[in-house]
Amino acid sequence: MKKIIFLYLTLVNLAYGYSYNDILLKAQAAIFPKIMLLDKNLENKLIDGKVVYTIAYDESDLHTAQELSEFIDKNFKGFFDKYLYNINLVEFSDLSSDTKASAIYALNSEEHIDKVAKIAKEKGIISFSYDIKNLKKGLIFSLMLEKSTVLYLNKEDLNKTKIDFVDSLLQMVRFIDKNNL
Amino acid sequence: MKRKSFKSLSSKIVLLIMLISLLSVLVIFTVFERVNKKAFYSIEMEKANLVARTIEPLIAVNIYLDMKERTDQVLTQLLENPNILAVKVLKNHKVINEVKSSEYAKNIEESFIIKQIINQPNAKNKLGTLIITYSNKKYKELIDQYAKILIIMFVALSVIFILFSLYIKKLLSPLGKITRALKEYSPDKEIDIPYISQNNEIGLISKALHNMQENIYQYSEKQKNINQYLEDKVHEKTLELRKQLYTDALTKLPNRHSLLNDIISSNDGALIIINIDDFKEINDFFGQIAGDNILKSFSYKLNNMFNKNHEITLSRLSGDEFAIFFTKKPSLTIFTQTARKLVADVEKMLFFYENNELSIMVTAGGSYQIENILEKADIALKSAKRQQKSFLLYDEKLNIEGQYKENIEWVKKLKIAIANDNIVPYFQAIYDNKSDRISSYECLIRLIDEDKNIISPYKFLTIAKKSRLYSKLTEIMIEKSCQYFENVDSDFSINLSVEDILNKNIVEYIKKKIKEHNVSKKIIFEILESEGIENYEDVAIFTNEMKALGCRIAIDDFGSGYSNFEHLLQLKIDYIKIDGTLIKNIDHDTNAQIVVKTIVDFAQRLNILTVAEFVYNEAVYNKVKDLNIDRTQGFFLAKPQDKIN
Repeated sequence: MKKIIFLYLTLVNLAYGYSYNDILLKAQAAIFPKIMLLDKNLENKLIDGKVVYTIAYDESDLHTAQELSEFIDKNFKGFFDKYLYNINLVEFSDLSSDTKASAIYALNSEEHIDKVAKIAKEKGIISFSYDIKNLKKGLIFSLMLEKSTVLYLNKEDLNKTKIDFVDSLLQMVRFIDKNNL
Repeated sequence: MKRKSFKSLSSKIVLLIMLISLLSVLVIFTVFERVNKKAFYSIEMEKANLVARTIEPLIAVNIYLDMKERTDQVLTQLLENPNILAVKVLKNHKVINEVKSSEYAKNIEESFIIKQIINQPNAKNKLGTLIITYSNKKYKELIDQYAKILIIMFVALSVIFILFSLYIKKLLSPLGKITRALKEYSPDKEIDIPYISQNNEIGLISKALHNMQENIYQYSEKQKNINQYLEDKVHEKTLELRKQLYTDALTKLPNRHSLLNDIISSNDGALIIINIDDFKEINDFFGQIAGDNILKSFSYKLNNMFNKNHEITLSRLSGDEFAIFFTKKPSLTIFTQTARKLVADVEKMLFFYENNELSIMVTAGGSYQIENILEKADIALKSAKRQQKSFLLYDEKLNIEGQYKENIEWVKKLKIAIANDNIVPYFQAIYDNKSDRISSYECLIRLIDEDKNIISPYKFLTIAKKSRLYSKLTEIMIEKSCQYFENVDSDFSINLSVEDILNKNIVEYIKKKIKEHNVSKKIIFEILESEGIENYEDVAIFTNEMKALGCRIAIDDFGSGYSNFEHLLQLKIDYIKIDGTLIKNIDHDTNAQIVVKTIVDFAQRLNILTVAEFVYNEAVYNKVKDLNIDRTQGFFLAKPQDKIN
């Protein structure tokens, strides 16, 4: 069944939306919430005592977002470590400063990445990007599967946020800036 | 004698420094080794811990993010540290990551384990345990390196100390050289003391020794001069003393020591000793100076008499005694002629002192036998004096030595008798010729010897007088006689010599005993006339004192001495005991009868009672009565008894 759904989504995506690497998507879905927990200021970013993990998507990527949401729930079973969480699926067009979010995960978009980066910066929350190229537009964190899993961090914009990662994370990430991306 | 082994001071100092240094170094090194080993181990441990603590967050993040590959990557990177032999990560007691270096197998024996808990980043959850196997190799290398340094330092210090020791020995070696130089030193020999020119402590010592040597030399020279002077003086004094020892100071004649030397060095000689008669009287009458002048003059004259004869030596033996020693024995005839001529010549000599013309007489004793020659000549001299001869030659037949021995024996017997209370009075009755009854008793001294023999006084009384025991005998007789007659109703008489009367202690003793036994009315003191009463005044004082106490006085042996009647009157005597020599032949000796008759008449006129002694038979007794003698004493009537019946 999974294989059928996965094939379907791939076909739909090919027909109607961006194409995503499913393995990368799952890797990011498994790792990004954990990285969010490595922010020392996370407590300040809880909403009603819960972590709100917002997934921003283009209209055409709704299914991808939903799939991700399901994957996360299945993987984390309602808790990011000790924190209860909600996954908030928000279209890029609906995303605003009022959107509740402890962290924002942005799928691909041609137009709205800047907006996501701006809102995340305003809120002082971590912004994760599916595509590493979006870090150039101000998103903070991304992940690539190379020979091994590689974490990328936009150090230029990290300094402008209220994010304070544990030091050891900073030791293992690969820093990038707009010039060397 | 075993020679004490030399112990070098410098060697001692050096050895001591080395020993102290060695001990110090060993202690310091040991402490350093312990401390540093521990420190090195701690450092290595800390380094391992540091690695574990440093790497733990990174590993924690990787585990947390389930990035196993990255974890492996990190662990592999750790192995780049050559000290890390293996790293593994445990999760729920299961190894989830483990890497080992190629050196692991080789060095696992020398390693230690560091464990580090892996906590979830930004949370307290334990994710697992990091275990690092850390090699001791570095620690071993450090220790080996450190040990090498210690050994090098030890060797270096040892070399330094040896060099230091050699240097000290070199510094002190001049002392040895100076000592060797000083060994040759003596006050009269100058030695070269080395190192005087050195400008250090050794130089100072050398200079000081040099100065000391000069001072000692000067002092020694002075001492030599003093010693020489003293030796000369001692020699001079010795000669003087020797001369004094053998020379008489007054007459300058050789003295007794000189004579003894001459006698010893002579094998066959003869000796004449001469003594100036009554020389004491010259001293007493004309004074000591006069006596000395006469002695000097006499010596001079004697010297002139004999100085031409080299075989005769003249010497002064004592105050008034001189010796003429013939170093080569002349014939006996010449010897005796020489002695007699000497005595005769001396009698012709005249001496002058302060317008007084004095002459002296001498007595001489001679010995013609070299053996005990001095003693024999002295015995001969004393015999000549006793016999009132001008010269007597020692003769063995005289048995003078035997008499001396006998005298000595009697002195011994006397002392024993006194000590054993064996001097006792015997009592001889004196009868009244008119009533034929006992009028009194004469107390006569007797000695009881160790064989219980009763000894009469004629055997020991003369010897007692010479040996100063006489006064003791008098005291015994007074005490025992007074005590005996204290409770006897009879008069008794005791003999007293003039010597007793002149002895104040005896007189006091007599007074005391008379009073003590209350016998003043009974006692009669018989004073011996035969001894020759010379000092009548002193005797009169005694008789007066005694008569005042109620005692009576008798003159014993009257007629034997030279007392005259006038003097006897002064003594206020009560009895006259006529001398026995007049009585014993009175029965047929007409002359004796005349003398006794005169004495009796004289006594009767003065109311003095007469007593006849030695009446030993009836004829004598009858004659005594015929001559009107008042009392009779003698063996015919009664013998002396130890007690009164």
